[in-house]
Amino acid sequence: MTSQPRPLDAAPGASGRDPAEPRAHVDPAPSAVAAARGAASTATADAQAAARPASYSVADVPPTRRSFGRKVRDWGSDDPFAVVALIVLLAIVACSIFAPWISPYDPTLQDYNVILMPPSPEYILGTDDLGRDVFSRLIHGASASVYAAFLAVGVAAILGIPVGLIAGYAGGWVDDAISRIIDTFLSFPAIVLAIAVTGVLGIGLTNAMISVGIVFAPQLARLARARTLVLKQELYVDAARCFGASPTRILWKHVLPNAIQPVLVQMTLLMAVALLAEASLSFLGLGMQPPEPSWGGMIARAYLYMQIAPEQMYAPGLAILATALAFNTLGESLREAMDPTSAKG
Amino acid sequence: MDDKIAKMKTEGMLAHLPPLRRRQFLAGAAAAAGVGALGLPRMASAQSGSTLRISSYTNPSSMDPAIGGNGGDHVYLWNFYDTLIEWDFDTLAPIPSLAKAWEFTDPTTLVLTLEEGVTFHDGSPFNAEAVVFNLERNRGAETSNVKPDLATIESTEATGEYEVTIRLKQPDTALPLILSDRAGMMVSPTALGNDPEANVNRNAVGAGPWKFVSWTDHDKVEGTRNEAYWRDGQPAMDNLVMTITPERATAMRAVQSGQSDLAYSLSETQKTLIERLPNLKLVEGPTVYIFQLYLNRSRGPLQDARVRQALQLAIDREAYVQATQAGVGEPARMFLPQAHWAYSEAAAEHVYFDLDRAKALMKEAGLESGFEIDFVSYTDQAFVQRQEVVLEQLSKINVRGAFRNGPVPDIVSRFMGKEKSGDSMLSAWTGRPDPTQTYDLLFSENSFYNPGRTPPPEGFAEALAESRATSDQEKRKAAFDKVQTIVMREALAITLSVRYEVNVATTQVSGFVPNLLGKPKFREVKVG
Amino acid sequence: MLNPLQRRMLRRRLLQAIPVLFLATFSVFMLMKLLPGDVAVVLAGEQATDERIAEIREIYGLNRPLLVQYGDWVLGAVTGDLSQSLLSGEEISTTIARVFPNTLFIVGYAILISIVLGVPLGVLAASRPNTWVDKFVMTFSSVGVALPNFWLAMIFVGAFALNRAWLPATGFVPPQEDFFAAVAHATLPAVALAASGVAEVARQLRSSLVEILQSQHFRTLHAKGLHPRAMLWRHGLRNVSVNLLTVISLLVNRTLAATVVVEAVFAIPGMGTTMVNATLQRDFPVVQGVVLMMVLTVIAVNLITDMLYSVLDPRIGQK
Repeated sequence: MTSQPRPLDAAPGASGRDPAEPRAHVDPAPSAVAAARGAASTATADAQAAARPASYSVADVPPTRRSFGRKVRDWGSDDPFAVVALIVLLAIVACSIFAPWISPYDPTLQDYNVILMPPSPEYILGTDDLGRDVFSRLIHGASASVYAAFLAVGVAAILGIPVGLIAGYAGGWVDDAISRIIDTFLSFPAIVLAIAVTGVLGIGLTNAMISVGIVFAPQLARLARARTLVLKQELYVDAARCFGASPTRILWKHVLPNAIQPVLVQMTLLMAVALLAEASLSFLGLGMQPPEPSWGGMIARAYLYMQIAPEQMYAPGLAILATALAFNTLGESLREAMDPTSAKG
Repeated sequence: MDDKIAKMKTEGMLAHLPPLRRRQFLAGAAAAAGVGALGLPRMASAQSGSTLRISSYTNPSSMDPAIGGNGGDHVYLWNFYDTLIEWDFDTLAPIPSLAKAWEFTDPTTLVLTLEEGVTFHDGSPFNAEAVVFNLERNRGAETSNVKPDLATIESTEATGEYEVTIRLKQPDTALPLILSDRAGMMVSPTALGNDPEANVNRNAVGAGPWKFVSWTDHDKVEGTRNEAYWRDGQPAMDNLVMTITPERATAMRAVQSGQSDLAYSLSETQKTLIERLPNLKLVEGPTVYIFQLYLNRSRGPLQDARVRQALQLAIDREAYVQATQAGVGEPARMFLPQAHWAYSEAAAEHVYFDLDRAKALMKEAGLESGFEIDFVSYTDQAFVQRQEVVLEQLSKINVRGAFRNGPVPDIVSRFMGKEKSGDSMLSAWTGRPDPTQTYDLLFSENSFYNPGRTPPPEGFAEALAESRATSDQEKRKAAFDKVQTIVMREALAITLSVRYEVNVATTQVSGFVPNLLGKPKFREVKVG
Repeated sequence: MLNPLQRRMLRRRLLQAIPVLFLATFSVFMLMKLLPGDVAVVLAGEQATDERIAEIREIYGLNRPLLVQYGDWVLGAVTGDLSQSLLSGEEISTTIARVFPNTLFIVGYAILISIVLGVPLGVLAASRPNTWVDKFVMTFSSVGVALPNFWLAMIFVGAFALNRAWLPATGFVPPQEDFFAAVAHATLPAVALAASGVAEVARQLRSSLVEILQSQHFRTLHAKGLHPRAMLWRHGLRNVSVNLLTVISLLVNRTLAATVVVEAVFAIPGMGTTMVNATLQRDFPVVQGVVLMMVLTVIAVNLITDMLYSVLDPRIGQK
């Protein structure tokens, strides 16, 4: 009667390379890597800056301005993997929207005569423990996953970015206080937070992903704060201030557009992590509620049958892997693209 | 904060410990004193002789039968504590144990005649005084969890060195079987320092086949032969080691690789694996564990008996067992399995699968187009699977719903407690020693497990009282016929299936027999 | 041993840790209390009645004002008494002493694998930039980061299950009991955990190394006639050591979080499973105790990392 819980792997911090700083500034600017760390100090920031030597060479000359179309074509030829990734993601989004039309069966249709069947002409990927078509469930699960990833990252952005901007801009005790709170959140076990939030708000995919978003928010806050600290010193910000622009206006019009790039990259990377988090929470039973399918839930069910039908776990796992990989590749590619002097060898 | 510390210094630590810590401190001290006085070493190491190695399932909640609350504790407790009365493994009919005979001299007086020459593990004698101490403790101590079981007792008295007279407030012939469970487990009063408020949470001292050696949480429970055990030739094995392995695949692997001799409470899906392997044998049988849909009958369409009957007839129990229990189990037609002595054929007639009849009933109740049920249940994947099957089956009569799942404490306290959240809960009834308890706890008006606290139908309370009034087994069975017929005809809850226990043992193991309660006893198990 | 600058930083960090600890444990406490679900229901067990549940709440002091309950706990924690589990009565300090080493063992093992496999891979990729070797390593690392590690764990269990006896699929042996058996049992979980770790380390290292190699500094050294291989190992690695340290410290934090799922799949009694079970069963004292331990660990790891930074690069900390 007691449930055996499957915990969350809401691992904060996706791969963190340094956000590409325009080479003209050799600032001791905190990097994304440091930003994603818990209870980090500016010592880390100094470390990063120190480790990255200022370098100028002929190869580092920023390219001349190109048209958007040209940029896209260049990007495509430079990084074919990213194009593939984009196509994969678009396909998944298409699945999630057109699921009812594409899927061969109703994903909740049970047929106890065909339990745990291997792939066949009738059932492309076989059937699950209640005789439901795995392929149809996979397609419908895409909606849950897409929704989950966007929701979590959206919540993280809405919570984290403003907090980071304010902390970075205000400085002083406001910054200190906010930073300490962020530190606390970062050293908090994510799983307890996820269980607590779903406990208070009620279990379900939406609430679970809101809790994941809350877990991610500190990372984005740190990143936004880091960028703001740098940008605060920019000339145009000073100028705006001299002209009497209010802090809100400055943040919105001047800081945010420039701070957003690495934040956007990190958000793309966080999509992959959100996806994995949804899978973990569904594994725990805190995610999607029956009978709607979700990829994580499918893996959780496969876990029950691991001894007699281990192949059940492959389809949803590979789906998650492919989608997460696509998000990651896209994110990395965006990062490279936005940094005109990044080391592409 | 300073104030508090200063106060503590003057009034002493003890006064400021929260009640639990204080009690445990005192109890621990008493236990230590008690044990110390008898010169018994706290941890006897037990390594010589034959050892029965078991892969067990849950971590016990306590070694004190009166205080623990987990259904999984019994498997540990049976080893160290004997009960006054026991039951037949197949039918759960009562048979003598520490009480070698019992008699209702009149409907409100139960006289127990005790076995003589039995001693507790600490050497103190088992006698009427000890029994009276235990019963009074169980029904009166603050920390006792078994008070409700003994609610009908007025007084207990040692009317002879080996005779106990129990006087009841009202007739209660369920008492013998109640004494086959926690309430009847005899703890050594000496070990408790003769203080009913003390406890033996971490150190069992009873009169059972093995003596308690150690318990490391989530790891192991160990016991060694009780040389003075009153049943000759038992236990079959000298030492007992129960390794706590909640993960069932690991448990099975332990038996397979020879690390363990047996594992119990495996999942049904493991049955096919066991049957395939040559050095393992399957030990399987029905239990009193029944999956069911609790119904809150105090509001909405569930108030109408016809609607409830429709739900009852819409469930294809055979298919349910097939899908969720890999075919291992049987449909549940009441809150007892077929093998039980009080199973009622008359009641079973009201529970069958007939979709057309179900639809007709819905139409009669004016709900042909169906309605929504707010279901709740647990997040465990196995339960999620059951939910999916139930939803599918009920959708055929247009009863729709979604499940709001959550952890056990959450869901149970919200559904059964003050909040009354949810219309129906998919859960299970783990079974009780006496059928009276089952039906009383599930359907009596003020019972915790009656979600809407709705009064039961006409005749229920009388029939239940009848089952408690007579000690004649046949007459009791007739009373239960009445009780169960009422319950199933009115579809007060929707029974789904009976869980069968699936256990595995190596081929060397003999004497491992399943029992209907579903909580294995090991004293007759032998290896090799 | 430590210079005054480092000592000052140490002191400052330790002081800053205290409010973090309070905040973290208080938040957990409040969250747990806000959660619906009554541990008294679980404690009453199968014999639950409304009265019994109310009685239990009184006995265990669950009706006292929240701040009093928290204050009580803090008082205990400060003196090393973390109270007992509401459900099993086990001393929580014993619980932690039992499960923490297991988690540390697996996490340590996983970090070790991450470094031992990740560093050479990263160096390999960096030494042959843009060749198929580089692309292969980078692809492998992308996949590694995108893998759900509990899924990988399940695949391992499936693959190494009943049939093969090389590595045990589930179960756990504490290292104190039998070191070699412990290592054997911990290998699959550690590898499952390390998959993304190896990927991270390899990728980060490769990026940093390539950057260094492109830099002015290196071109000069190369022009001076130093052999590329020697440059890579001696100068390259030392410069990226700070980056590496950052990655590793991030990895430790992340692996500590990720271990929860892997522990579940492999049935390992660790901090993760203890915490999850306790949270789901509303066993507050256990959750408090475990959270305290985890926060302490994270703080300690970060502190050590920062101290190591200042050792590796004396410029750090000079503000």
